[in-house]
Amino acid sequence: MSATRYLLVCQNVDCKNRGSELLLTELKKRAAESGCTDVEVKPYMCFGACHEGPNIVLYPEKSWYAGVKLEDLDEIAAHLTGGPDVVRLDKIDRSLKELIYQLLDAGLF
Amino acid sequence: MSSARKGILVPNGRIAGSETLDEYMARGGYEALRRIAESLTPPEVVQEIVASGLQGRGGAGFPTGKKWELAVTNHASPRYVVANGGEDEPGSVKDRLVMENHPHLVLEGLLLSAFAVGAETAYLYVNHTLDKAIKRLEDALREARERSFVGTAILGTSVNVEVNICRAPTEYVAGEDTAALEVIEGKKPLPRQKPPYPTTAGLFGQPTVVNNVETVANIPAIIRNGAQWYRQYGTKESPGTMLFSLGEEVVQPGVYELPLGTPLRFLIYECGGGPRWNSELKAILPGGPSSAFLLPNQLETPLDHQSMRAAGSALGCGVVRLIPQGVCMVEEVLRIADFFSRESCDQCPACRMETNTLVALLQRVQKGQGDKVLLDQFSKVLEFNRGKGFCALINMPGPPILSAIRLFRTDFDSHLTTGTCPR
Repeated sequence: MSATRYLLVCQNVDCKNRGSELLLTELKKRAAESGCTDVEVKPYMCFGACHEGPNIVLYPEKSWYAGVKLEDLDEIAAHLTGGPDVVRLDKIDRSLKELIYQLLDAGLF
Repeated sequence: MSSARKGILVPNGRIAGSETLDEYMARGGYEALRRIAESLTPPEVVQEIVASGLQGRGGAGFPTGKKWELAVTNHASPRYVVANGGEDEPGSVKDRLVMENHPHLVLEGLLLSAFAVGAETAYLYVNHTLDKAIKRLEDALREARERSFVGTAILGTSVNVEVNICRAPTEYVAGEDTAALEVIEGKKPLPRQKPPYPTTAGLFGQPTVVNNVETVANIPAIIRNGAQWYRQYGTKESPGTMLFSLGEEVVQPGVYELPLGTPLRFLIYECGGGPRWNSELKAILPGGPSSAFLLPNQLETPLDHQSMRAAGSALGCGVVRLIPQGVCMVEEVLRIADFFSRESCDQCPACRMETNTLVALLQRVQKGQGDKVLLDQFSKVLEFNRGKGFCALINMPGPPILSAIRLFRTDFDSHLTTGTCPR
């Protein structure tokens, strides 16, 4: 089954400094373990919300997770398999989200 | 165009040979400095530069006299002056050639600047790869010291100006004024948030004037001959002459001094001898990689700030590039976007996001991975991030990319539909 949903994990300077490489590895592991083959966990270049990082976006759902910590991953992974969205991690300015979602809609991921 | 090749910075408008101190003095060199010993006051020097209408030659075109006035209205002391020879603009060699061949011109200009704004310490900020320029400036400094043009009690007066040479890193942003100040302070070349501008809080927090090397090189002739003499060159709004750099695309590459307002065609065909290649001209990038492209039917555009703005582009620091038919503008702007992405100092999140995103968008266009909706994203990304960086780099990729999409849409459509350049 090919991916129809994408969990995009920012790998730019600030997010990396705050541990986004480990988050990417862990999320890949959890997505594989949970058997959700419709989700591809991918690195992303930059969402422009560096001060709020690490940033992760689930597309096409358009769920934004900011300031993600290792302890948040269980909830995010649960959402991939039908659990509730982790809305408490959405702290991002609406105008930035609109821009990023338009870029993703245009295929930039 | 009778005055076109006369040159007021350098003889005959061509930088050539290594001018000695005696040769420089034979054409009036250090006469302006001598007037300090006679009667000239700092406010008079500032007012002469204000009256001359001299604009900065580093790219922004800010009025030099205005910058000096801002520094002197701040009563904090000490003050500093810096001649910025970082020169990291691709294709620009004018500052290097002036420093290598006319070091005393730069030095006298810097000394006059220091005198005008009441600075006793001045810096020559020079790209560290320019060994010859640094050597020539060091030699010039020694010779000037022997003649009492620099140091303590210049020409027997109470004026003291010490000049230091600071080697600049080669990063693009290291040429930005406040990044230069950081380097002189011994730190990394990272632009500062503004305000405060250097004229308020510059080097070591003190009022500082940073002028491009070419700007500084204009000062001696203005003080020696007066603002009205200077204004006979150029246009009312952009007085004087400017150094323009032509690269290997023309028969005679080099740096040419021309009065501002000279048509672009004169520079390319009369000075440069026209394109080296046989194919037709496709586009002109008249002001370095951050300017918008012009079409061949705009060759009569005068080389001055106002005319270039009216034509939809910018004069920048005078680096003119020619693009022949056959070059794909998608590939061309991808190179430019990639340059700005690599040269972003990564300090400002908005700049990082913008420059990375522009490259990624262009790569998708190049590979034909998407449709026309991709092209709408460029202006949105640029508009969202406009002015959100500490320096001007964040605004630089926009003009070349947006003008290329507007003027050469068939190149972009070809890539979007076939993933290849137009045939």
